[in-house]
Amino acid sequence: MESQIPRSKSQLPIPDYQSSNSATLKVDRVTKRYGSGATEVTAVQEVSLTVAAGEIVLIRGPSGSGKTTLLSMLGALLKPTEGTIRLDGTTLSELAENRLPDIRLRQFGFIFQDFNLLSALTALENVALVAALAGAKGKEARKRAAGLMTDLGLKERLNFLPEKLSGGEKQRVAIARALVNDPAIILADEPTANLDSKIGHEIMRLLRRIAKEQNRSVVIVSHDQRIKDIADRVLWLEDGQFKEMVTMATDPVCGMAVEREKAAAQLELDGVTYYFCSRGCRAEFEAERRGQVVGDRLTLQVGRP
Amino acid sequence: MILVAFRNLFQNKIRLVISVGGVALALLLILALDAVFSGVEQQVTAYIDYSGADVFVSQEGVRNMHMASSALSASVASKVKAVSGVASVTPILYVTNVVVADEERNLAYIIGLPPNAAMGGPWRVVAGERIPSDGEAIIDAGVAEKSGIGLGDEVKILGEEFTVAGLSDGTATLINSVAFISKRDFAKLRGDPGTVSYLLVKVEPGGSPERVAARIEAQVSEVTAQTRPAFAAQERRVIKDMSTDVIAIMNLTGFLIGMAVMALTVYTATLSRRAEYGVLKALGARNGHLYRTVLAQALISVALGFGLGLAFTLLLAAIVPQLGTNLSLLISGASLVKVSLVSLVIAAFSAILPIRQIAGLDPAMVFRGK
Ligand SMILES: Nc1ncnc2c1ncn2[C@@H]1O[C@H](COP(=O)(O)OP(=O)(O)OP(=O)(O)O)[C@@H](O)[C@H]1O
Ligand SMILES: [Mg+2]
Repeated sequence: MESQIPRSKSQLPIPDYQSSNSATLKVDRVTKRYGSGATEVTAVQEVSLTVAAGEIVLIRGPSGSGKTTLLSMLGALLKPTEGTIRLDGTTLSELAENRLPDIRLRQFGFIFQDFNLLSALTALENVALVAALAGAKGKEARKRAAGLMTDLGLKERLNFLPEKLSGGEKQRVAIARALVNDPAIILADEPTANLDSKIGHEIMRLLRRIAKEQNRSVVIVSHDQRIKDIADRVLWLEDGQFKEMVTMATDPVCGMAVEREKAAAQLELDGVTYYFCSRGCRAEFEAERRGQVVGDRLTLQVGRP
Repeated sequence: MILVAFRNLFQNKIRLVISVGGVALALLLILALDAVFSGVEQQVTAYIDYSGADVFVSQEGVRNMHMASSALSASVASKVKAVSGVASVTPILYVTNVVVADEERNLAYIIGLPPNAAMGGPWRVVAGERIPSDGEAIIDAGVAEKSGIGLGDEVKILGEEFTVAGLSDGTATLINSVAFISKRDFAKLRGDPGTVSYLLVKVEPGGSPERVAARIEAQVSEVTAQTRPAFAAQERRVIKDMSTDVIAIMNLTGFLIGMAVMALTVYTATLSRRAEYGVLKALGARNGHLYRTVLAQALISVALGFGLGLAFTLLLAAIVPQLGTNLSLLISGASLVKVSLVSLVIAAFSAILPIRQIAGLDPAMVFRGK
């Protein structure tokens, strides 16, 4: 797996310890309804999902489809209306309210779209605080935080306040914070939405390597098309349910990525199905393939692979 | 989490200054007023403390001087003198009246002293006589200075002209001063040569004032005999009784102001970090952790306010006597304990509302971007 992601100089190093904490997350026919009566909203409906240790699952879907709701339930922030969520032997959805903080603290690492660092604390303190919440003594907590942040390339930024950090740095601090209590599962909601695409990609690759090298499960909710290549599995959530997974194809004429199910046009030729962004592209493709020369267009297309 | 409390507090300097300053001023109000009255309590017994008497004998039932009137038959003096353990007896006359100096009226304890009085006279004389002869008065140096008079000038006491023959020091308080005239003049003006007000008793060296006082009460009829400390304590009680209501009102005012300032700042400080508390909850902080953070913020601010308020009061106590007034501020242990408790109550109360805010926070809100 690791070999798929080449290590280059520009790539961020990651902590090189193996998680002592890996677990399987099993979601069984989970439903979440908000409100009641006329204003009732079914945000998630009978969703089932298993996330294996070390697996990266990307959940995509239109706005309002229930992605955040599902992620909140996975992270024991929200109780499902129906169904069960199990983390190895523990059924999270049945635990008493006062057991949940501990589960969140030790089993889950959360990463948010807007980083959510505490503005009054330095980068180091933001990370150490969460270790301290889990019972680490002050000095030990700071040591652990500093080690982790150094591994994430933040050695020079330990004592900076969040306002003095770039977006990418903030998200790396947040990742260090998510990792500091050695969680089995990382949950990220739109972790790259506030970052430019290059930094977003770096963060995604970092998450992937955390999953693969440390055997942690990572569940990412994102609109970001470009990050699908880092996931082991991409799930499409729509109207609170997983729909058949969206598969992408490339328009052979203009090179645009199109969803197969939503392609404006398609064509079967010699047992292969081609998908197009528009009828125009298909017409062009057909003309080219069938050798019907139309003006000097063909000569233009000849050089194409 | 205490670190979070500190950082949250110190990140917003303006809010910190307002809350700490506000609490400091509120506590200053309580502390300074207490100190003023403690100072008055101490000053008011100056005459008793410096009288040199071990035991004070008064008319039966009269237990102090301020706002009291005591009358003893002159013959009681020899009966008291005969009690075993009594070394000497000095009869004095006393009334609260005014010293009129150059049209200016100064409230004063007027003391009528016998010639060669062994006790009860001025304890520090800065100029002139120690014991007034007939037609003479010894008045407080500060009062004299304020009225622009000096030795040899005339003052009016009990409606009669007296020549200032001596100036005493330490005989003035915020509210009054002590003036001394001869016992004979005093008696003549009151038209009653047969009575005295108090008998000042010196006990024999090594004798116990308590026992002598008890013996006097047992052997001499219709008198009350108290040791000097007991007599002084009674005097202080009178002042305390008079000041209790004023102090209570001011304490309540200070408490309410302090509370309002504190509650508002702790509340807004918590409210402005609502989202961050939500993040902490989502990350796995227990409610208890967050409550402690808020409470710590309140306690730290109040403690800083207390320190600042105390510093202000000490500064006042140091400066005020330099201003030439007779005001003296005395910070008592009891007052410090009281204000500390008031501070704790302020901190606890101001944390209640924010804590309820936090208790109601839904940790799931963090994924919704606040
Ligand atoms: N606390 C709530 N109370 C009532 N309805 C809610 C609540 N939270 C979410 N919903 C509704 O549930 C549905 C799913 O919302 P959710 O936030 O999970 O969608 P999402 O897929 O994360 O959307 P987006 O991509 O815009 O973030 C929406 O219709 C939303 O209005
Ligand atoms: Mg969402």
